[in-house]
Amino acid sequence: MEDIRKIISEAKEKIKNANVSSLENIKTEYLGKNGALTQILKSLSSYSIEDKKRIGSQANNAKSAIETEIESKKEDLKKSFLDEKMRSERLDYSKSFYFPFSKGSFHPIIQTIQDISGVFKSLGFAVGEGSEIETEKYNFEALNIPESHPARDTHDTFYLEGLKTLLRTHTSPGQIHAMEKNKPPIKVIVPGKVYRNEASDATHFSTFHQVEGLAVDENITFVDLKTMLADFIHKFFGSDIDIRFRPSHFQFTEPSVEVDMRCIFCKGKGCRLCKSSGWIEILGCGMVHPNVLKAVNYDSEKYTGYAFGLGVERITMFKYGIDDIRLFYENDLRFLKQF
Amino acid sequence: MKISYNLLKKFVDFELSPKDLASLLTSIGIEASVISQGYDWANVVTAKVLDVQKHPSANKLSLCKVSDGAKEYSIVCGAKNIASGQTVPLAKIGAVLPGNFEIKKPKIRGVESEGMICSEKELGLKEESQGIFVLDDKTKIGLPLEDVLDGIDSILEIEITTNRGDCLSHLGIAREIGAKLRKFVSIAKVKVLKKLPLLNGIEIESNLCKRYIGSVISNVKVGPSPKWLTDILAKSAIRSVNNIVDITNFVMIELGQPLHAFDLNKISSKNIVVREANESEKITALDAKEYKLEPGMLVISDKQKPIAIAGVMGGEFSGVDEKTEKIFLESAIFDADSVRKTSKKLNLSSDSSYRFERGLGWDITELALWRAANLITEIAGGKQESIEDLHTVKYEKTKVSLRIGRVSKILGYSVEENEISEILKFLGIDLQPKDEVIVCTIPSWRNDIKIEVDLIEEIARIKGYDAIPTLKTHTDYSYTPNNSYLTVIVEEFRTKLNDLGFSETLNCSFLEINELEKFGLKYYYKIANPISKENEVLRSSLLPGLFKNLMLNISQCAETVTLFEHGKVFDNIGEKKVFAAIMYGKVWHEWWKWTQQKVNHSFDFYFGGGIINNILPSQEFMIVENLAPSSYFHIGKSASLFFRGKVVGQFGILKPSLTTDIKDEVFYFEMDLDPVENMCVKKNNFYKAYSKFPVVKRDISVTADKFLQFAKIEKVIKNVMKSGGILKEYSLFSVYNDESKLGEGKVSYSFRLSYKNDDKTLSDKEVNNDVSVLLNKLDSQLGVKLRQ
Repeated sequence: MEDIRKIISEAKEKIKNANVSSLENIKTEYLGKNGALTQILKSLSSYSIEDKKRIGSQANNAKSAIETEIESKKEDLKKSFLDEKMRSERLDYSKSFYFPFSKGSFHPIIQTIQDISGVFKSLGFAVGEGSEIETEKYNFEALNIPESHPARDTHDTFYLEGLKTLLRTHTSPGQIHAMEKNKPPIKVIVPGKVYRNEASDATHFSTFHQVEGLAVDENITFVDLKTMLADFIHKFFGSDIDIRFRPSHFQFTEPSVEVDMRCIFCKGKGCRLCKSSGWIEILGCGMVHPNVLKAVNYDSEKYTGYAFGLGVERITMFKYGIDDIRLFYENDLRFLKQF
Repeated sequence: MKISYNLLKKFVDFELSPKDLASLLTSIGIEASVISQGYDWANVVTAKVLDVQKHPSANKLSLCKVSDGAKEYSIVCGAKNIASGQTVPLAKIGAVLPGNFEIKKPKIRGVESEGMICSEKELGLKEESQGIFVLDDKTKIGLPLEDVLDGIDSILEIEITTNRGDCLSHLGIAREIGAKLRKFVSIAKVKVLKKLPLLNGIEIESNLCKRYIGSVISNVKVGPSPKWLTDILAKSAIRSVNNIVDITNFVMIELGQPLHAFDLNKISSKNIVVREANESEKITALDAKEYKLEPGMLVISDKQKPIAIAGVMGGEFSGVDEKTEKIFLESAIFDADSVRKTSKKLNLSSDSSYRFERGLGWDITELALWRAANLITEIAGGKQESIEDLHTVKYEKTKVSLRIGRVSKILGYSVEENEISEILKFLGIDLQPKDEVIVCTIPSWRNDIKIEVDLIEEIARIKGYDAIPTLKTHTDYSYTPNNSYLTVIVEEFRTKLNDLGFSETLNCSFLEINELEKFGLKYYYKIANPISKENEVLRSSLLPGLFKNLMLNISQCAETVTLFEHGKVFDNIGEKKVFAAIMYGKVWHEWWKWTQQKVNHSFDFYFGGGIINNILPSQEFMIVENLAPSSYFHIGKSASLFFRGKVVGQFGILKPSLTTDIKDEVFYFEMDLDPVENMCVKKNNFYKAYSKFPVVKRDISVTADKFLQFAKIEKVIKNVMKSGGILKEYSLFSVYNDESKLGEGKVSYSFRLSYKNDDKTLSDKEVNNDVSVLLNKLDSQLGVKLRQ
């Protein structure tokens, strides 16, 4: 008995200090054919039956205890060997990593439309789409811009040869389509491409994008308009942005508003981008003109609404500090890859 | 439009600095900015120089004692002309001079200066000046500088929205200021004579002329204008001509009514007819250009020929010059639409036509005539002989009813009835309240107020949009950018291609005809009125734009160009949405771990097609043989895309003749989005339990006729997969086409076949059997044999 206990403690001590090669020797020393425990088991025949059973089971227990001990030591040794090896393996993180393709990019204009749509979607607006080829009726007349009105001067229009159609000069025809196709309550935005027949320069290009918005229902007021647009600007540009509502004129809204935000570059002190005014014009809006509601056979006594339109290029130029609108349409990878 | 700050003050009394005035105007819808600053000198006062000493440590500087009457200041000054006893402008600490120059308390060579004595240049009065600005000795001290200087004016640049023709004058702007500040506007009194008919009379033959007032002034002396007149015109950027013309222009910028003066002696029989032009009548206008007139255009004419294009421009021949003695002065109202159309057709616009197009007030026409006649007799002498006032319409003021309740219904906040009345009253509107309704009589100059909501806008505008309350955010949604502008399939394409290194582009929708024809493409929409050749036609494909982008980037030394675009194109069916991608150059960049062979791989038919195959969002898309390749494709290197029984797109290599200038092949893909727009990208296949038993792989190489379409071999394999059930996957891993080894006209394909049984581990025998079945079928059906 004493022997077995002694053997176990002696073996454990040896295992504790063993290395990979001595561990094999220890195994042989205790568990091998001539090992100490094997010897004890072999000598059992000389004992009484009770003793045989008792000593036998003790010896077997000791055997498996040592085996377990050896196995776990083996695992430890393997682990410390790998840890040791790992310490010697060092790769230079600063050498180039590789992915089969270079980085792609999304066009900043499309991305801005996506972001704007995302905010309006979160404000409960549906997203619609309109045609780029339009008629006089939708682009002008239904929007209270009769042919003789000087407001047409601000819409240099591309007309299509041989057809009574034109390229829409704003996304506002979307208002008319939305009201014709749906019944109030309406809450929709219409993003898309628009065209103006004017010479191109750093801030003008024949093709650009707008996002139109329209809400029509009973009891929609000027307060709702201001609340919603303030909400949009704060969500899109940041909650600390100062905004200003300024009276203006659009044929299809009354009252009409232009919304400015405090210049994000100079914080209102006045700089080149805001033309020293400290304010940047961000969008135009207003309450839907009764003549527009009448044009789609809505009861302008019962229904009121607001409409707004924002210029995507303008917003994107301010957002990224881009000073020439034509860069958006050149598609030079040195420009595109920055987004 | 340029507006003089001082002239405004003659109409309405206000205490605002030019800058504050600009903000006030902007806040009521008239965008204004100060373009020439007369002064903005808070903290600049008049002061007396008491004593001048040399600066202890600088020769060129003086140390002065200066007093504004209340306090003494010690000032360091560098000007040579400083002397004690002078009265000077003193900018105190905190003053901000033009150019954002703030006066601080600096130590100049060790001595503190409590301000600065200013030069005219520093005050922004002159471009250049020598020394300090010495004021008149009699000037009182301690006064703000602006109070003691005369003739200093600020110019405001003003933008007027198209509906507010009434604001195109100093009087008009003054009215707006008055409305906001609740002040009445005063107009200089005019001397009015009794109306006497003209000797030879005026005849109005067209209703396009609403009102016509003419007056004859004789014995005028035409000459240069007095300085005050040329100065004020210069501020409005109007060139001085002579005293008569200058007065008509001055009255226009003052009151808004365009006037015209004719030399009466040049008018045949001294008879004025207002009529529409005759067919092919001509006139040489004051700009010395000849204009061809036509019916519908209103002219002023004598017995023989037109002497002016009504409301647009006078004729050269009948103009006032140094020899003129007798003038005929015209103040009229012409139909706005007619003036606009005439001006458009002749491509001739003027300060006059700009105002007529926007509509004029009935009452101002007469006032302006008197005002001009008074000024002419005062400045150029002469006598107003006669005056005649004719109209073709009976003018009545517009009446609009305003329901008090409707104000808050539109605005969403309530405005007291008192405030409503006050605002409207100061806008010049006459009010007749009756129960809950106010009947408003609109002043003649406000032709933009036609309906109730126009009045509601006036109330909101004058009250100020800042006063509009905002509700606490009416939505509780938190902002998460959500893709909703693009359809699901476009979104799928662009995210996948972005991951593969593609850049999204946006091209102009216009092209030159030859840019389309180059690719064998047609145009279906031609622009009727392009301003440049670039805008000739609408694109019928995205290829010309993307190809242009490709060439630009190649010229900028890009080794790889992978671009995509989505947008509208315009073809024989109409407007449709398409998606396109172009690929060119090296697939992979050099990398220190790559072998040369790998690096050199460039986009070709199979690689490009692989990308297209990979981005397709559903198994409903099939790549099939291209039976009708587009004109720009290589006829042997293209394929088409099939979706629900229809070809929806094509891809392939561009014709070699299109890409002769560049090294590699160009891969292009274009598909119609409309047929797939509403498809569901998410696959609705049910989950299948996968086999837990091991896969057995076998490689086989077969030899086939090189013209045998690969799809036919694939079809045999697929049939075996269907019938046997243990062949689960196959892949083509090698193609070998050395005909010297394989035999003429032969090609060899190597396939890797994967076998699996869902219920048990496969035995070699079972797999071998299935391989033989496949080989037998390939041989018997296509003559494709196992490679020996």
